[in-house]
Amino acid sequence: MLKQVRSVPNTSRRQESLMQSKAFKSVIYWLVLSPIVILTLFPYAVMITTALKPAAEVYSNPPTWFGSHLEWGNFAKVWQLGFGQNMLNSIWVTVAATFLALLVSFPAAYSLSRFNHSRRFTGFYRQFLLVTQMVSPIIITVGIFKVVATLKLIDSFTPLILIYATFNIAFCTWMLQSYFNTIPGELEEAAWIDGCSRFQSFIHIFLPLALPASAIAALFSFIYCWNEFVLAFLVLRTPEHATITMRVFSLVGGRYTVEWEQVMAAAVLATLPMVLMFVFLQRQIIRGLAMGSIK
Amino acid sequence: MKQEKFSATALLFPSLLMALIVLGYPVLELLNTSTHSVNKFFNVGDFVLFQNYLNLFQDEFFRAALVRTLWWTLGVVGGTVFLSFPIALILNEEFYGQALARTIILLPWAVSLTIMAVVWRWALNGESGLLNLTLQSLGITHDRIQWLAEASTSFPMSILIGVLVSIPFCVTVLLGGLSSLQKDVYEAARVDGATGLLMFRHITLPMMKPFISIAVVLNVIYVFNSFPILWVLTEGGPVNSTDVLVTYLYKATSAKFFGDPGKGAALGIIMLIMLLIFSLVYARVAKEGDEVRA
Repeated sequence: MLKQVRSVPNTSRRQESLMQSKAFKSVIYWLVLSPIVILTLFPYAVMITTALKPAAEVYSNPPTWFGSHLEWGNFAKVWQLGFGQNMLNSIWVTVAATFLALLVSFPAAYSLSRFNHSRRFTGFYRQFLLVTQMVSPIIITVGIFKVVATLKLIDSFTPLILIYATFNIAFCTWMLQSYFNTIPGELEEAAWIDGCSRFQSFIHIFLPLALPASAIAALFSFIYCWNEFVLAFLVLRTPEHATITMRVFSLVGGRYTVEWEQVMAAAVLATLPMVLMFVFLQRQIIRGLAMGSIK
Repeated sequence: MKQEKFSATALLFPSLLMALIVLGYPVLELLNTSTHSVNKFFNVGDFVLFQNYLNLFQDEFFRAALVRTLWWTLGVVGGTVFLSFPIALILNEEFYGQALARTIILLPWAVSLTIMAVVWRWALNGESGLLNLTLQSLGITHDRIQWLAEASTSFPMSILIGVLVSIPFCVTVLLGGLSSLQKDVYEAARVDGATGLLMFRHITLPMMKPFISIAVVLNVIYVFNSFPILWVLTEGGPVNSTDVLVTYLYKATSAKFFGDPGKGAALGIIMLIMLLIFSLVYARVAKEGDEVRA
C-alpha cells in the first residue's frame, strides 16, 4: 500500500511550470549525463585525432591533441597493409554466421512461441540456452582448438562461422520469441478458418510481421561476429586470413614499438561500419531490444 | 495433433543439435584433456584424474587470480548496474536531444572490446597519452601518471573501462524494462498523492526486478569471461598483478607462456562449474524474493 501524502507540495505556479518545462528538464538531464557522455566519447576523440596525426608527431612531448596538419595518408598506409582483405574476411564470416544463426533460431523461436510446449519443456529449453551463454570461447579454448586441429580446419573460416552462429542462437531465439509473442495468434487462426494451411498463413501473415524483428536479431549477431576476437585469434593464423579486429590487435600485441597513428587509422576503419549502422538504426535497435528484453 | 507435436519439435531440433555439437563436443574434449597429462603441443598422454586440478590449486598465481576475478566481476558488474539504472531512468524520459543521448551512450556497443582496449591503451600511455594531457590541462594532476605500469592504477583503470563498455548492454535491458512498465499504475499512484521518490521505491524498483536480474546474470557471465580488456591493456601484467582467471587460462594454455594445456582445460571446467553454481544460486534467490513479495 502506498502511504497517503497529506498535502500537495506548495509551489507557486510559475516555479512549477519552469521546473517542469521540457527545456529545464533537458538541461538538467544533459548535465547529469555529461560525465558518462564525455567518458564515452573520449576514446573516439583519441582514436580519430591520433589517426590523423603525422607519424613524427605521435610521440610528441608534451603530447598534443592535434598534429601540425591532418595526415590522411595514414589511412592509405593501413589500406596498403592489406586491411581491405581483412575487411572482406570480416564481412564474409559475419554475414555467413549471422545467416546461419537466424536460420536455426527463427524456427526455434517460432516453435516456442506458437506451439503448445509444456511449461517445463520451455523452461528447460531456455535454461539450456542460458548455459550456452556460459560456455564462452575463452573457457573452452583447449576443447575448440583440439577439435579444430583434428578436423584440420586451422586457419579456415568454417569453424569460426559455425561457432559464431552457435553463440548467437541463444540471444536471437530469446529476442525473436519475445517478439513473436507480441504478434497476435488470432491473425493466423483467422486465416486457417478461411482455409489457409499452417504454412500458407506463416508465409503470408506471420513472416511479413516477423521480418523487422529478425533484422534486429541479425544486427546483434552482426555486431558480435564483427567484433569477436578470442576465437579468431585462436583459429586464424595468417595475416591474410585475419579478421579486421584481430588484425588491429596484431599491430599492438607483443610489439615493442607501435605505430599508433596506423593502429588508430585501422581502428577507425574497423569501427566505422558498425558505428554508422548504429547511428542510423538507433531507434529500431532500442525498440527491438525493448521487445526482446527477455521476460 | 500428432503432426503438430512433430513439427513443434522438428523446428526446435536444428538449434538444439547445433548447440549440442558445436559447444558440447569441445566441452567433452575439455573434460577429457583436463584429466590427462598433456604436453604443450596438445598431445594427450596418460590418464591422471585430478592431477591437473591439483597443480592448479597449488599455484599461488592461480589463487591470486581467483581472488582478483571476484573483485573484477564484482567491481565491473556492480559499477555497471549502479550507473546504468539512473542513466536508463533519464533516457526513458522525454527531453531535447534524447535520441542523441541514447545513441552516444549505446555507441561503445558497436565497437569491439578489443579495439576499445587498444585505444585506451594508447590514451593511458604515460608519456604521450591524451588522458594525462586532459587531466593536466584541467588542473587535476601535474604528474605524468604511468597508468598501466603499476598494479595500483592499472587494475582500477581496467575496471573503469570494463564498466564503461558494459553500460550500453545494461542500459538497454533496463530501458526495455522501463518502457514496458504500465503508465496507469503511476497515474493511480499520483492520484493517491504519491511523489517521485515514493513511486520509485514502491512501483519502479519492484517492477524492474526481473530486468535487473537479467542484467546482473548476463553481465556476470560476460564479465567473468571477459578477456580482451585486460589482455590488451596489460596482458595480465605488470608481474601478474592484473591476472584474472581468463588471462591465467590463456597463459596456461599458450605455448608462448606456461604451455600447459592440461591446466588450461582444468581451469575451463572449473570456470564453467563456477558459472553454473552462480546461475543456480541466483535463480533460487530471485525466485525466493518473488515468493516473499507475492
